[in-house]
Amino acid sequence: MSKKTHSPLWTLLIIVTLTVAYLIVSIPFKVMEIIPGFTDIRPVSMLRPVYGIFFGVPGCIAFAVGNLITDIVSNSLRWSSIAGFAANFLGPFCFYLYWCRLSRAPFDLKNMRHIIKHIVVILIVAVIETVLITPAVALVYPDVDHMLFFMTVMINSTAFPILLGIPLIIILQEELGLKPKPFRKRKAEAEIHQ
Amino acid sequence: MMTDQKEGERALNKLQANLCLICVTLLWSTEVIIFACIPDSVVPFATTAITSLIGAVLLFLCFFKRIIAALKNGGKKLLLTGLFLSVLNCGYNVLYQYGLKEFDVSTGAFTISMTVVILPVILMMKRQNVDKKTWISAMLVLVGIVVSYLGKLGRISVGGLLFLVGGCIIRAYYIIRLNEAAREFDPVPISALIALFVGVISFVIWFFIQPATFGAIEWNARIIASLFIHAYFIVMFAQTVNIFAQRNATPAAATIIYSLEIIFSLIWGMTMPASIVTPITPDVFMLIGAAFIVLGNLSEIVEFKRKAVKRL
Repeated sequence: MSKKTHSPLWTLLIIVTLTVAYLIVSIPFKVMEIIPGFTDIRPVSMLRPVYGIFFGVPGCIAFAVGNLITDIVSNSLRWSSIAGFAANFLGPFCFYLYWCRLSRAPFDLKNMRHIIKHIVVILIVAVIETVLITPAVALVYPDVDHMLFFMTVMINSTAFPILLGIPLIIILQEELGLKPKPFRKRKAEAEIHQ
Repeated sequence: MMTDQKEGERALNKLQANLCLICVTLLWSTEVIIFACIPDSVVPFATTAITSLIGAVLLFLCFFKRIIAALKNGGKKLLLTGLFLSVLNCGYNVLYQYGLKEFDVSTGAFTISMTVVILPVILMMKRQNVDKKTWISAMLVLVGIVVSYLGKLGRISVGGLLFLVGGCIIRAYYIIRLNEAAREFDPVPISALIALFVGVISFVIWFFIQPATFGAIEWNARIIASLFIHAYFIVMFAQTVNIFAQRNATPAAATIIYSLEIIFSLIWGMTMPASIVTPITPDVFMLIGAAFIVLGNLSEIVEFKRKAVKRL
């Protein structure tokens, strides 16, 4: 990575670009609402692992901001959006944390073992996000069908990252040459060794 | 963010290519859901023209340098390949449109899977080798189609069937040529050129059918959103992923995986609300037919030989 990629302006540019990409995908899907004003079909969830693994913290910020702007634009901004913002930052961050820090093997989806591992991470992240968002919605809006809401968030957080996200990651990494974001500490260690 | 990875090192393995093809098939199967959000007053050529042109513009914006570089290298040959593939693409889509009018949703979808059987025959006529495993898979899918027809034999329209078989022949040839093109050129410019030419050809046909073109559509947020969703997911994403996957798969294997579309369509028909998809209540023949199609896919995707060696 060149020094240019470390500058705050470059980071800001990445965040803005990723947020715009998020909005381009997410906003048209507001036409397919299941619970009006609360949640919907969100294929944009497929970008969650991509933003975390390939763009690190800027990707996590872009994902959370993109989700918040989508809520604002679609007139879905509620108090529960605070929990939504936190969950949508934490989701990509978990992928970043696991694949770029905790996992001993470098990230790739070349074999079944890695793919299954990735699916397990997706499931764990989905549970974390759902557990964060659902109680917030339940507290503020007791009239909402909580079970349907829970199921919708779980399906959005698992189906799209698995069915669409995995092929997207494969193409980005294997064919378009995108590299997973190195974790700051690991990167520093690599630089010292060099 | 691009890496120092060499061009030659970038390639999907068989597992990755198959996963990509399954994803593409899944996305294609959702077209009916997206189309359900577009009123019938918008003619199919209008949808194809608009979504293909949006997809082409997005691909050119995202990969401008790459496409220009490929055009400089590939030049006229790349352009002609893109144009030829687009003509084939439009050809089979037109035949499908006319043919499908004569069938109910499920029977039509099963009939389209006929491409699986036609493609190996074309390959054989071109004197290209087809694996024994692929023939077995193709036969299993054919049995699946035939079984799904049982109980509906009296209701099958011969004219509609001829249109669909014609469409399947052109589609099979399209897949073979796409596979060859994916190996010869960079998949991104091919995808962009196909989207561009399909968009232009469809626009010309749309103009003849409905001279007012854009003015004839009663625009609203729902139509615009649906067109954009189709452009991102079906044209830009699925088409490009398909070409990347095709580069690393045989045309016959790809076609067998495409036949899974009928399984996905059955699932949507059984689970989605009637307001989104025409409901499907599968009879026993359809279920058995679907089981054969899944079996055909499994026999193509699963590596039986490698497992046998491991056991030894």
